[in-house]
Amino acid sequence: MSSLATFAPVLDAVRGIGWPALRRVRSAVPGPHVSRVRGTTAEFVEYRPYRQGDEPRKIDWKLVARTDRVYIRLSQERAVLPTVLVLDASASMGFPAPANDKWEHARRIGIGLAEVARQKGDPVGLTVVHPGGTRTVPPRTRRTVLEEMMHAVDVEPAGAEPLAPGMREAMRRCARLAIITDFLGDADDLLALGRTFVASGGELHVIHVVDKGELEPDPRKLLLADPERPELRRPMSPPARAEYLRRFAAWRDALARDWRHAGAVYTMVVPNTESMRGTIRRLTTPSGGAGTRSGR
Amino acid sequence: MTFLAPVFFYIGLGVAAGAVALHFIVTRQPASSPLPTVRFVPTSSVRVTTVAPVPEDLLVLLVRVLIALLLGAAFARPVLTPDRRPVARVVMADVSRAVGSIAQVRDSARALLGPRDVLVAFDSAARTVRSGAADSAARLTRTEREGRLSPALIAALRAAAAMRDEADSIELAIVSPLRASEVDASTQAIRALWPGRVRVVRVATGADTLPPRAGLAIHGAADDPLAFAAAAAGIATSDSAVRVVRGTASAADSAWAAGGRRTLVRWPAAGAPSGWVARATVDTVGAVIAGEAALVFPLERRWALDTATHPTRVVARWVDGQPAAIDRAVGEGCIRDVAIGLPARGDLVLRPAFGRFVRAIGTPCEGVAGGPALDEARVSALAGSGPLAASGAVRPPDVTATPLVPWLLGAALALVLVELLVRRGSAPLWSGASDDARSARDTGAAA
Repeated sequence: MSSLATFAPVLDAVRGIGWPALRRVRSAVPGPHVSRVRGTTAEFVEYRPYRQGDEPRKIDWKLVARTDRVYIRLSQERAVLPTVLVLDASASMGFPAPANDKWEHARRIGIGLAEVARQKGDPVGLTVVHPGGTRTVPPRTRRTVLEEMMHAVDVEPAGAEPLAPGMREAMRRCARLAIITDFLGDADDLLALGRTFVASGGELHVIHVVDKGELEPDPRKLLLADPERPELRRPMSPPARAEYLRRFAAWRDALARDWRHAGAVYTMVVPNTESMRGTIRRLTTPSGGAGTRSGR
Repeated sequence: MTFLAPVFFYIGLGVAAGAVALHFIVTRQPASSPLPTVRFVPTSSVRVTTVAPVPEDLLVLLVRVLIALLLGAAFARPVLTPDRRPVARVVMADVSRAVGSIAQVRDSARALLGPRDVLVAFDSAARTVRSGAADSAARLTRTEREGRLSPALIAALRAAAAMRDEADSIELAIVSPLRASEVDASTQAIRALWPGRVRVVRVATGADTLPPRAGLAIHGAADDPLAFAAAAAGIATSDSAVRVVRGTASAADSAWAAGGRRTLVRWPAAGAPSGWVARATVDTVGAVIAGEAALVFPLERRWALDTATHPTRVVARWVDGQPAAIDRAVGEGCIRDVAIGLPARGDLVLRPAFGRFVRAIGTPCEGVAGGPALDEARVSALAGSGPLAASGAVRPPDVTATPLVPWLLGAALALVLVELLVRRGSAPLWSGASDDARSARDTGAAA
């Protein structure tokens, strides 16, 4: 049973971390992110010559007195960035059993990012795709939204439910979307949706969860089975292991390249290899724009 | 129970131990572990060989061990060893026509025979009785055949060889009147093969086995050359058990022969006795032989034995093997037909060879002839001296009967079929396809 106590270390770890938008946001709702709209708020940006139609209240009369010309003050508008996190709760995320490291790491990252966004004033929501039913928390700014999210992520990974429908639904409700998955399901559909979302101006973060056991499979385990497709069994002989490592690395590289080419921020995370704060900081720190954040 | 070739049983034990060891080594599909990225593992099959803590497929193992042990035991040729006893006996009981009283032979043999002893009843042939010898001895009957010790001794040696594991010593006893005619040239050599003394129990000789009166009573013309030759040979007599009829034999002559141990020789001076037919071509083959007497002379051969005639014995043959004289049993005696024409002139009858030939033709028939008793010196040599034959000194049999072998092989064959059914029923074959969800495994102890 997930509770606030379960995620308390995460909430503590992310305190003080910001998650700035990668671009100016379009929203008109005041918030923490730089908006494309320039208004008359107290944050001065520049003067502009008065044009007919401007409100006389924006005229800087002191400047008129000094320069004998009429200027109006322009200020930077700030807006919120509605954020939705999409979590994959398929059976492959339950690896390795019974600790479910991938899923535990994914939902902690989800709660951590949600808290980072929420504490800065962004509406934040959540979608958990699970065969028992997709759990959705609409983007909100109130504090109780975190409790709703904690409740939503309280599931056991199972099944092989496609993530694309949940992502498509989330895309309509946010300007920033973060997908936390292992991409072992409908990766192609997700990539297509991601391209559409980025093209429409959205900010897309792709968080690829890979376990150490997938990067370096236990050599003592000779026969391996796909948890989502039990009929898929392959033996892991030493030659097969070398080929597996080569194929898996190539697939990860291709995946990262495709997502970055699509304009998303691709980040690969490995559970239990770094602190949660470090992981959240890596995910939220801008590093030169979309698609350039390095993964592992 | 002992094994004639125990090395095969040890090999069977080794094979069984190997089967047990192999059943600890199993080849199976390992238990699968989850890995979400298994799709990146290349497709192949896998089996691993491990040492199981307990043998796999106990029923199959049991059947295989039994097969190995049964085959090993069968090839080792098991024989059941009876309890040893101090002395075992082989009793040779004479049932030939030389025996005067078969009851005496029965009593003597039964007195000697104990449980599991062997009886060898013999006349001209020997019959070995291993089971219920005493009871068989009580039912012995006298035959009309001559007795022969040599085949009986050989049968006794074989019987003793089969008994060498049953007793410490083996005693050979001979219950017989021991006539001289029962001993031949090989008897003493065969006797020498017996490594101990022989108990000789002599029984009364039958009166009808005593030698008949010697000589030839020739019924023919006064100037018959045969009569002259018999007289010259000193065997002519008027009262003999052998009558030579030179003419046509009468019913009285036949009745005379059938009424006692007598021999009627039908040797017509002209023509041939009944049962002979004229030859298409008369020839001279040059010689005729009767027993050890050979008569070399160009005698004309005019008659041949009718194919419908069934002689008891051929007494004389032409040099090319054709019969010249035959015996036929009649009642207690016999009739001898001689189809040899004598020349009307010449000195043949004066020759000593002809006299020997007539003597041979004039000997009583084998069935009615008697003979003297075996002399004491030869009896003593037959009995020998010293201790009983030690069983170890008796030559082991060349072939030891192992009645258990076919049963063991049959049981092993049946178990092979059972093993096939058990293996198919309990351990379905696993194809080894890695994507196959089956987890059945196959034991690695397959042969």
